[in-house]
Amino acid sequence: MRHLIASAAVALTALTGSSTLAEGYPERPVMMMVSYGAGGATDFQARIVTMTAGNEDALGMPIAILNKPGAGGRVGWNWFATQADADGYTLAAYNIPHFIAQSVKGGVQYSADSFEPIANWGADPAVFVVAADSPMNSMDDVVNYAKENAGKLTFSGAGLFVGHHIAALQLEQAAGVKMAYIPTKGGGAAAMKAVIAGDVMGGVNNLSDAFRAEQAGNVKILGVFDLERNEFLPDVPTLKEQGYDIDNASVNFRGIMVPKGTPPEVIDKLATVVPEMFKNPRIASKMQAGGSPMHIMTRDEVKEMWAAREETLKELLAGL
Amino acid sequence: MSMQSLPRLQHILASGVVAAVGLRVAWISYTAQPSEAFLFPRLIATVFVVLALWTFAKAVLGWTKIGHGISTGQMVKLAPGLAIALIYIFWAAKAFGFYTAGTATFFILLSLYDPAPHNEAKSWIKRAIITAGYLLVMYGLFAKLLKVYTPREIFF
Amino acid sequence: MEFLYYFADVFTPLSFGLLLLGTIGGLILGATPGLSPTMAVALLIPFTFHLQATQGLILLGAAYTSTVAGGAVSAILLKIPGAPANIATTLDGHTMAQQGKGAKALQLSFLASAVGGIFGVLLLIFLTPLLSQWALAFGPSHLFWLAILGVTVIGSLDSASVVKGLLSGCIGLWLATIGFDDIMGAQRFIFHPSLGGGINIIAALIGLFAIPQVLTMFAKGRQDNDAEVLVVEKHSVRDAMREIMRRPKALGIGTITGSIIGLIPGVGGQIAGLVAYDQTKKFSSEPEKFGKGHSEGVIAAESANNAMVGPSLVPLLTLSIPGSPTAAVLLGGLLIHGIFPGSDLFDNHPDVAWTFINSMLIGQVLMCIFGLYVAGLAARVAQVPQSVMAAIVLGLAVFGSYSVQSSMGDVYVMAALGVMMYFLERFGFSAAPLVLGLILGPIAEANFIQGSMIANATNGMGSYFLSGALNIGLIVVVIASIGYSAWMELRSRRYTSKEEIIG
Repeated sequence: MRHLIASAAVALTALTGSSTLAEGYPERPVMMMVSYGAGGATDFQARIVTMTAGNEDALGMPIAILNKPGAGGRVGWNWFATQADADGYTLAAYNIPHFIAQSVKGGVQYSADSFEPIANWGADPAVFVVAADSPMNSMDDVVNYAKENAGKLTFSGAGLFVGHHIAALQLEQAAGVKMAYIPTKGGGAAAMKAVIAGDVMGGVNNLSDAFRAEQAGNVKILGVFDLERNEFLPDVPTLKEQGYDIDNASVNFRGIMVPKGTPPEVIDKLATVVPEMFKNPRIASKMQAGGSPMHIMTRDEVKEMWAAREETLKELLAGL
Repeated sequence: MSMQSLPRLQHILASGVVAAVGLRVAWISYTAQPSEAFLFPRLIATVFVVLALWTFAKAVLGWTKIGHGISTGQMVKLAPGLAIALIYIFWAAKAFGFYTAGTATFFILLSLYDPAPHNEAKSWIKRAIITAGYLLVMYGLFAKLLKVYTPREIFF
Repeated sequence: MEFLYYFADVFTPLSFGLLLLGTIGGLILGATPGLSPTMAVALLIPFTFHLQATQGLILLGAAYTSTVAGGAVSAILLKIPGAPANIATTLDGHTMAQQGKGAKALQLSFLASAVGGIFGVLLLIFLTPLLSQWALAFGPSHLFWLAILGVTVIGSLDSASVVKGLLSGCIGLWLATIGFDDIMGAQRFIFHPSLGGGINIIAALIGLFAIPQVLTMFAKGRQDNDAEVLVVEKHSVRDAMREIMRRPKALGIGTITGSIIGLIPGVGGQIAGLVAYDQTKKFSSEPEKFGKGHSEGVIAAESANNAMVGPSLVPLLTLSIPGSPTAAVLLGGLLIHGIFPGSDLFDNHPDVAWTFINSMLIGQVLMCIFGLYVAGLAARVAQVPQSVMAAIVLGLAVFGSYSVQSSMGDVYVMAALGVMMYFLERFGFSAAPLVLGLILGPIAEANFIQGSMIANATNGMGSYFLSGALNIGLIVVVIASIGYSAWMELRSRRYTSKEEIIG
């Protein structure tokens, strides 16, 4: 019966305009679409950061995760841009640079303008890994090998036009070498398996996954594709420190967004509540335990970051 | 096996449709861009077309050995159920909601195919009870236990 | 023998309660169409937030083992395979249920599952370091040949005509290419927006197996069911045990194939059942009985798909690489408690690791006992009148395919494939090879492309795909498999022509 009333109320508010919508929002559970499969890093983190949504000081309603995986996230974001209701009850997780790079490349139905960011929860830099028994011990070793064997250094990553691919392109550009980037199907886990098994000579992977693999004694981490060293890996230098001019364009920023056309009152409410929700100490401890770096940003900061990213990526991908 | 005659015309039709699909797939695979993304489809489509044309030729020559096709009687019996199922899936489920449309479809199908007489109140009550039980189980399992979000809210 | 020390932990009241909950809940979830083991485990993850790491994993481990076995229930009774693992079970299992031997089929499937499952977990306990090397040995070229080996099975699987079996397989391979291609991101054959995400394998399974069956029931019309009240045979558990003892070959081939193939990351779980079924058929002294309600078919398929459970976790537990979607979800369950699989797990949290593994061992036994207990009752489903059954299966198919990822598009795809399959089946095509194509297509393609990219950067295609002991070994098996099928085809042709002369 409650659902009946709730849905009648929603129907009514849809008729009378959006101003009444924001007052009681949210009146029912909210859904959040994740465009990667259950068990992936994005899915895992999304489940953690939304687990306190039902608390009174957060949204007061739980957030349910819905996975729509496929084609490096294109399937989910296409759905979100074209078919999701812009009523504030359908959120999505975004991955930067993935969806912006894909929209720059074309062939998808979305761009940065199709979505409204709410808040950012995490930043997972890309790192360069080699197998634990590899003779390479620094990025210089990698680049020197690539210089001597042009196009023969194979290294894996989680697909084309995702953060790993961007990092790979930046590395080739900054070091002035040609290498063989091997995109894998099955995301970062498959790319990591290829490195550990010796199918490829090295790989670009997520810091969080690489950190675990290093702890297990399977890989060596040679460099971080970010502006600063990471708190999880204080001993691993950035690419910049090693003499390659590479910024943080490949860092995988994860956060929450809504479709364009969502009522501004709803966006405002979410934009104030959600970053506070992320600050909950329970979330921080679970994220820390899972080896996932947090990076909370507000709506305005994310907007800026999106715009900056779009510009860099247009430049970087122009040659492809 | 060999005693029973197979409906040659139906076989020609069916394998013809399959062959047409195969040719269309092959055409797309060999022409679409970017061509490197269609390498694997080209491979499949080639084998597909060869096998499909072989099957089609066998059907035309009347050499097909298996598959009894569909008799007119079967088609007549099948048609109403198939039509209702398709209306339910492609239109009613979204228009009226899963549970409403599903329950209505269930009741109609039961009335159509249940052999109990249509002029007895008792059999209608029985159908209504079965339908109610179906609604309860489906709602309990999918809406309550698994919390599946249906297109028009959880209830509908 | 370290695992023995931690057995006591499984039997504390709370742990054992969770184990029971996970097992029974898992069986129910597994039997629900559309809920694959991966989904079921993902659904349970939020509950583990409130539990300790050990207890949370007991729940997940028990649920994983029993959902795999639970899938056999809907496969046998409704002909809706719960996951790709259960496809082979429908072939003989559902036929048995239609013959009134549902109780026997269910009992055999639970017993075979338990035998296979326990063997698999024991492998996990004793041979983990060795197995992890084996799991890593498979690179792109080997996975490509493995997928091709799967393709060679297509022709001989559940089809009276090799050409139509292969053609069905081709249709499946083509259907698998629909959608965005995963590596390049190019759009292929998307002629309706519902296909943008490609064809979801679970939705396709439901459509291809359940819908033709619904339509077949419709085509029988308003028949008087007094005419054919099905007698569901009672079958004692003891008879089932004796039956399983009498089929050591099926049980052995199923268990070993399942364990070996289950280990291979990304491929194993999905095809273990089908490959074991096919091998058992080829080695059987009575191959013609398969597909007509032969108990060996059920035993091989179910022992294989539960044997794969233990080994499929090897890459996760030792190398921290999830080898299957379910393992990926389990990884999340571990990470939430701050436990990293790999050496950290066994060195610093042996209580968690071994209790988890033990819970899967005990879970297999509980699952078997509980399954055997309800088998007789569940088999009565076959007595439900056709009209009611058709309507129920239709409803389950719609809800099940929708619940996979709350997508209407999946329901449309399910229905379209199902109706197509009904008509194709009338003309001698069959669903099992089509589904196998659908599963193997992406594996073959992705590994071929990846392999050729590596090969072009290094030694060249020829040496990459054709050299090395494992490549050559797999190629030999592929050739043997094709040769065997061809030989069988020729032999059976001689048979039929003789029969025709006599007849």
